[in-house]
Amino acid sequence: MLGVFAWGTVVGLDLVSLPQMMLARPLVAGAGAGLLLGDVAAGLRLGVLFELFQFDILPVGATRYPEYGPATVVAVAAAHAFAIPFGVGLATVVGLFTAMLGGLSLQVHRRINTRAATAAAPALDAGDRGALVRLHVGGLGRDLLRGAAVTAAGLALAMLTREFVVPALSHRGERLLSVAATGAALAAGAAGTLRIVGRGPGLRWLAAGLTGGILAAWLA
Amino acid sequence: MKPRLGAAFLRLFTAQASWNYERLIGVGTGFAAEPLLRPLRADDEARYHAALGRATRYFNSHPYLTGVGVGALARAEWDGTPPEQIERLRGALAGPLGSIGDRLVWAGWVPTLSALTLAAVAWGVGLRAVAAFLLVYNAGHLALRWWGLSAGWSRGARVAGALQAPWIRRAGEILGPVTALALGFALPLVAVWSGEAFRGWARITLAVTAAVTFGLLRWRPDVLSGLRLGLVLVVVALIAGIVWR
Repeated sequence: MLGVFAWGTVVGLDLVSLPQMMLARPLVAGAGAGLLLGDVAAGLRLGVLFELFQFDILPVGATRYPEYGPATVVAVAAAHAFAIPFGVGLATVVGLFTAMLGGLSLQVHRRINTRAATAAAPALDAGDRGALVRLHVGGLGRDLLRGAAVTAAGLALAMLTREFVVPALSHRGERLLSVAATGAALAAGAAGTLRIVGRGPGLRWLAAGLTGGILAAWLA
Repeated sequence: MKPRLGAAFLRLFTAQASWNYERLIGVGTGFAAEPLLRPLRADDEARYHAALGRATRYFNSHPYLTGVGVGALARAEWDGTPPEQIERLRGALAGPLGSIGDRLVWAGWVPTLSALTLAAVAWGVGLRAVAAFLLVYNAGHLALRWWGLSAGWSRGARVAGALQAPWIRRAGEILGPVTALALGFALPLVAVWSGEAFRGWARITLAVTAAVTFGLLRWRPDVLSGLRLGLVLVVVALIAGIVWR
């Protein structure tokens, strides 16, 4: 579990601060968590599911968005820990709450950075190298702690869920939850796709892609 | 003393660590530019501090293209460009570096490769697809970062010409249709793959849930998001799942 915690922290740091190499992308975060836990199937399934949710957001400028990287890591750990046939649904519940918490923590991080930058403004404007390094490395350190805190909170939620919710959930309920989670992810992915493609000639290319995809799915 | 382009390049990977509402990516830009400005210190301490102070001011850019600003602004300081001209350059770069990066990377390179990886996973390629995603994505990512820093440093105050390079326009023209094609191709494959786990009533419920949720997301995109609607759906399903025995 320590490895999963460390991976979630790294993934949290990758999103904004270092090195932005798409480790925070749910597909990658989920596959990594699956590898660590020896449960690649759960890693890929939840990675795909949260990747579809990720399509719903464009991380442009100061926009507010949920953080799906650590959320996917936590969801994979949860699914592995629940050890029930349709654990994906309940793991998605844990993951979505973690994503919301991650998004809120990003806002807090930006506000703390703003306060620190305001306080250091005279030194920055005077070209004080020490103040610049302290401010920047401070932001990096706070983001590392933020990623760790979000992952830890998500894992704690997963443990509470295993303790109190898993025993109360019926087998039919597990399946219903998985259906709801998968349906919501597919819808978010499709809506996000339309937003990315936009209006105009892109829609024709999208239609061509859909035709090819349907044919490929039928042939597979 | 030679400018340390390698050190500036490495620092670019942390450009957004101190992102804030006052200077946006300005502090990160100054942090990355510092190794390039350091040689000025040997000749004139005051000039170095003045240049570093300017480098940390308000700046906006896509993180992968921050290097263009870092290189161009630092080179302008080396060339002895007047401060007011450097300020104009900073202001002129902020908009294009944001919009070009958003269009090429966030709305092009990322969703295209993500969609192809989703399709490959649905086809059963597994972890190799994820590894290929990381390799291909970061080959483009690293090349773009290095190109930005090199173009900025070599052109200085005349860097605007680099942003009008034919390859940027061409990449935008190609990525639009390719992204749409890839996303369209991936969606049916992923939908079928995701539905394979369910049988009978569950599969029908999945199709209805996805269709209704998609309709709601398209109906009120200003209020509803994938996260909000997803949370409502799974919480309702959770309560139903506990009650329905």
